[in-house]
Amino acid sequence: MEEKNLNEKASLELISQMITNSRRKLEDGNGIPFLIWGYTTFCISLAVFFFINATGDYHYHILWFLIPVIGSIGMFISKRSKVKHSGHVMNFIERVIGNIWMVIGIAGFIVSVGAFFVRIPILSIVLLLMGIGTALTGLTIKFKPVIISGFIGMASCVVPFALKGNEQILAFGIIYLIMMVVPGHILNYKGRKKHV
Amino acid sequence: MFKELNPLLHSELRLGIMSILISVEEADFVYIREKTGATAGNISVQIDKLSEAGYIEVSKGFLGKRTRTVCKITEKGVTAFEEYVEALKSYLDIKSK
Repeated sequence: MEEKNLNEKASLELISQMITNSRRKLEDGNGIPFLIWGYTTFCISLAVFFFINATGDYHYHILWFLIPVIGSIGMFISKRSKVKHSGHVMNFIERVIGNIWMVIGIAGFIVSVGAFFVRIPILSIVLLLMGIGTALTGLTIKFKPVIISGFIGMASCVVPFALKGNEQILAFGIIYLIMMVVPGHILNYKGRKKHV
Repeated sequence: MFKELNPLLHSELRLGIMSILISVEEADFVYIREKTGATAGNISVQIDKLSEAGYIEVSKGFLGKRTRTVCKITEKGVTAFEEYVEALKSYLDIKSK
C-alpha cells in the first residue's frame, strides 16, 4: 500500500478489505489462554493430590496459589510474543472477554483465600465460576465447543459433592482438562485451519 | 450532485489506516504495518498527518526495550470517515443511474 489517490470503487473495496482483515476473531490462535490455565490447573491438581496422598499433610493446599502465579506468567509471555510478531490490536470482543475473565479471576481468588478461613465447597464454587466464564466466552465469540464445555464445567460443580476426600481434587483436575484444555485445542486447530 | 472527497482520506495508505482503526478500538504500529503491507517510514509519515488533522490519537509506550506506538481513532476521525463514505456513495449512486 502506498500514498496514492484512488478511484471511488477502489476506495470502497479497500475500506471493505481492511475492515474484514481487522475483524480478527478469537479463533486465531487464541485457544492459548485456555491451554495455559487448563494445563496449569490440571498439573497443580495432580501435584496437590499426589503430595496430600503421599504425606497426609493438608498444608500442601497452599500449592493452589501457584495457579495464578504460573498462569499470569504464561499469559504475560504469550501476549508479549503475540504483540511482538503480529502487533497489538484491541477490539470490542477482546475487551469484553478480558473483562469477563478479570471479574471471574478476582472472584475465584477471593473465594480461594476465603476457603482457608471458612469451610466452603471451594472446588465446586471454582468450577461453577470458571464454567460461567467459559460459557460466556463461548457465547461472545459464538463458538460451540467453548459454550458446551462451559456448561459441562458448570454442571460438574456437583461432582465434588458426590466424591469423598482427595478424589475431589483429582476429579477437579480432570473436569478442568475437559472444560479448558479440550476447547483450547479445538480453538487453535480451527485457527490454524483458517490460515492454511 | 457529487460531494467533495476529503483529500486527507482519499489516499490509499491513509484510507487503509483509517479503515483498520474504525473497526477496532486501538491498534499498534506493527499491526498496521502487517495489515497494510506498507513500509515503516511511509506509515509513520501518514500517521503523523492523520494525527495532526486530529483524526487519530497516538500514544507511545514501551514493550520491553522497544518503543510501541498505539493508534486510536478520534470522534473527529469517525465523523470524517463517515462523511468520506457518504461522499463516495454519492459518486457511485450517480454513476450507477
